[in-house]
Amino acid sequence: MNSDISSAATVDALHHEEHSSTGIENKKLMMWLFLASDCMFFGTLITTHLIYRKLYPSGAAEEGILNIKNTFNIELTSFSTFILLMSSFLMALAVSAMHKGQLQSFRKNVLGVIFFGLIFLGCQVYEFTEFSMGNPTAGIPPLTLSNSIFGSTFYLMTGTHGTHVAIGVLWLVAMFFYSFSGRMNIHSAIDVEVAGLYWHFVDIVWIVIFTAVYLIEYI
Amino acid sequence: MNAHALSLESLIKEEAKRYHAFINLAFILAILTSTEIVIIFLPFASWLIVTSLVVLSLVKFFCVILWFMHLIYDRILLFLLFMSGLLIAVGTVIALMFLFSPNDLDRSLFSFNTLSMFFNSFCFVA
Amino acid sequence: MAVSTHAPVADKRLLPPSKSLIGLIRPDTSTGLVDWLTTVDHKKIGIMYGGFALFFFLLGGIEALLIRLQLMYPGGTVVSAQTYNQLFTMHGTTMVFLAVMPLNAAFFNFVMPLQIGARDVAFPRLNALGLWAFVAGALILNLSWLFQWAQVFGWFTPVSGQMDIVPAIGWFGYAPITGKNYSGIGTDFWIFGLQVLGVASLVGSFNFITTIINMRAPGMTMMRLPLFTWMTLITSFLIIFAFPAITIALVELMFDRFFGTNFYHVEMGGQPILWQHLFWIFGHPEVYILILPTMGIVSEILPTFARKPLFGYPMVVFSGAVIGFLGFAVWSHHMFTTGLGVVATAAFSLLTMAIAVPTGVKILNWIGTLWGGHIRFSVPMVFALGFIWMFMMGGFSGIMHSAAPADAQQQDSYFVVAHFHYVLIGGALLAILGGLYFWVPKIFGRMMSEKVGYIAASAIIIGFNVAFFPMHYLGLTGMPRRTHTYLAGFGWETWNFVATIGAFVLGIGVLMVIIDLIRTVASGKPCGSDPWDARTLEWSLPSPVPAYNFAHNPVIPGRDAWWLHKYGKKPEQEIEYEKTGPEGIHMPSQSWWPLVSSVGLLVVGVAMALHSAGVPYCGYVAIGGLGLSVVSFFLWALEGPGGYHLTPPDDGDEPQKVLASYTPEPSQKLELTH
Repeated sequence: MNSDISSAATVDALHHEEHSSTGIENKKLMMWLFLASDCMFFGTLITTHLIYRKLYPSGAAEEGILNIKNTFNIELTSFSTFILLMSSFLMALAVSAMHKGQLQSFRKNVLGVIFFGLIFLGCQVYEFTEFSMGNPTAGIPPLTLSNSIFGSTFYLMTGTHGTHVAIGVLWLVAMFFYSFSGRMNIHSAIDVEVAGLYWHFVDIVWIVIFTAVYLIEYI
Repeated sequence: MNAHALSLESLIKEEAKRYHAFINLAFILAILTSTEIVIIFLPFASWLIVTSLVVLSLVKFFCVILWFMHLIYDRILLFLLFMSGLLIAVGTVIALMFLFSPNDLDRSLFSFNTLSMFFNSFCFVA
Repeated sequence: MAVSTHAPVADKRLLPPSKSLIGLIRPDTSTGLVDWLTTVDHKKIGIMYGGFALFFFLLGGIEALLIRLQLMYPGGTVVSAQTYNQLFTMHGTTMVFLAVMPLNAAFFNFVMPLQIGARDVAFPRLNALGLWAFVAGALILNLSWLFQWAQVFGWFTPVSGQMDIVPAIGWFGYAPITGKNYSGIGTDFWIFGLQVLGVASLVGSFNFITTIINMRAPGMTMMRLPLFTWMTLITSFLIIFAFPAITIALVELMFDRFFGTNFYHVEMGGQPILWQHLFWIFGHPEVYILILPTMGIVSEILPTFARKPLFGYPMVVFSGAVIGFLGFAVWSHHMFTTGLGVVATAAFSLLTMAIAVPTGVKILNWIGTLWGGHIRFSVPMVFALGFIWMFMMGGFSGIMHSAAPADAQQQDSYFVVAHFHYVLIGGALLAILGGLYFWVPKIFGRMMSEKVGYIAASAIIIGFNVAFFPMHYLGLTGMPRRTHTYLAGFGWETWNFVATIGAFVLGIGVLMVIIDLIRTVASGKPCGSDPWDARTLEWSLPSPVPAYNFAHNPVIPGRDAWWLHKYGKKPEQEIEYEKTGPEGIHMPSQSWWPLVSSVGLLVVGVAMALHSAGVPYCGYVAIGGLGLSVVSFFLWALEGPGGYHLTPPDDGDEPQKVLASYTPEPSQKLELTH
């Protein structure tokens, strides 16, 4: 859907007149269906975590293996949460720019999103490394994928979210470079909007995970 | 084709209005998140904190899907589609959470003894 | 997008070769095998879905007959205990994921776009990915048989020392038997096979929902959709909401097996019961994913052969939606004996009973459709009538299970086996075979043999009842399912023998259908476009259907549009057509990438299982396979949808009433707008 209508007016214009019974573009409709399905996907992951959290208040079948509150680093997680929220804001601006056909503004904003996304991923890598090593001098035991049930559910869930972020970053990087191909114009706004929907969804999943997984540990 | 039907100028005007909504929303989200982080360290009853955390997250969640994800500007069909998935997911999560604590459920909802007596008599008759 | 500067052509083979955006020649002008491998035509994809599914259906049938041979006499020695476990596991998995679901998908693909008056699905290339990912998943599962044979000949030995190379964990793979300590690489084949099949079902479903919501012809409002299309829509919703649960359950299991997590490791606090919950959160909607499309097929066949509109159309649609929705709230009735607690047991019991209501409404409506109709008999009608009766019997034993105390007696006995075979053979299979006889004239333009059809239908229905009715009795007298043999003296000998005879009669009937189908495709008697005097839009098209489906876009006058067109007394009941302009009909370009990305998924699945068996370098091969998929998705996006234009032949075949342009009335649009 990326050719310039003004240049190849006659036959190609008809490619774009997608028939739509509801007035919603096919791509957007399908992305929303995917997101609805993804709710169930993350719902299952988060439930697994919460169920085991409920069954094992200490995070493991054996007491004393973990010290979750001390392992967690709320400052770092709050920082990456802000970063992700702001990337969502920039993404909304990028979509808006594309709707107005402002390619330069789109590039700037999408570059910001990519940058923030990479910071988020960097924080997550740092966090995973720190958690898995623990800090013997400060008396913080390590939290690994296999040493406790909490480790399993925590890493799988946040890791799956991180994978979603990484896929989003790859997608946006591809779009950023594609925007120099000359094939991107105001009619590509729907493609950007669909990528944006995905990015915002990753953000709202983090809103839930931040509360249900991190903040709840401090109560 | 909704967007295409509008003229470019009205579209740009509309986008400018959205721009302000997005900026305000970014501020609101930042404030709500800071509130969340502060609230967990306050000496309130834990049920109160949990409730406020859930409410704050819900507000953030709906802010993002309504404005950033354009649901408030778009056809309501999209909202309904997403909500159907979300509701099934939330329902399943809640049901599973209850299923993994049968004792809590029984005490909080009904008198366990009365219900089990009723159920036993039903089995006997059947 | 390839800028198509050329004029529209009558046949795609006349096209000049065009390049995609990444500079590769599009396989648009291809013929023969390459055409089938790269096709994006929903009709060809549907035919391939059907062909592969029938092949796996035969394979699953052979597995079933081996099971029955083993159980024919007490103390049977046809197969070993372990082979028996592998047979029932593969039989169940094959029949659910590789036979019934793709057979339904074959009809979705072929029939649904024609019924809504569309020229293709919303995302043609994604549709091809659905097909090829299904084939990849099916191969991952079934290649395990090859590795098992290699092991028998001594060419291949898993280092773990566990010799179950074919999955032997039951089709629902309960934890903890799926753990690394208790089962071999068969479980890995099973995990990756199911995961890839899930991808196939999900992309297919997203596509179908988008197509049905967005690609309807003008005038085709939601409440004018044919019932089969409605059931396609509801089934697709069930798939997109149910499959994520098993995806996560399988990911957790995979992590347990490959990366040492503890989700289902009891000794580290894992709860095997969680697997049961997650599996059945998917598994129960899955039951409706299997049966709802077949209800749609029956709802098409009955009105056609009763020559009467479907009785209570809105109620049938609504009941289907209610069944789908309630399907998400009853999963724990598969787990009554696990001790859910009183409240949960009572709630799931009640909700399960509640599902009987919309199902009963549907049966009432089918009978109401027959009532007072001018009933004609043909093979599809025989299958449809068989469906109502047999499905109802399966439903009755289902209601028996919904009472938790009774279920405690029936759990894991042959009574359950009888129940779900009544629903899945007596229900799903009979309707699918009915649909096959009904739509084959449309698909291939040839009639299947009536005579063979009647004999086969009788053999199938009689053989099926002889095989499975005694299992009710066997189950209630205590015969457990999934045990490879039984001792003489429990009173089970006679009925097991009878069941085996019945199973073979059933098998012969199915074989007759398939042989006759092959004969029909090769040399059947050609038929007209509307041999059944049917009601819906697909019958208004020539048989076989041209690549672009509709030469001119139809404008739909009402429900059962083709019937109205043929027999309506008022002029406004005729189908009108928007004339196709001189630019021709836009056709989507063909593509290699759906096939290539599915090959990547196939490589990942097999390599991961072999990695688990200790074959060197397989981890790298798996990463390479994943890389292949990712790269082909990128190239897929870069290549662009492309497209070319066809002109419909202008041979006096003009539609009777052509409109210059058409603007739908606002009321005919979907009402869910601002």
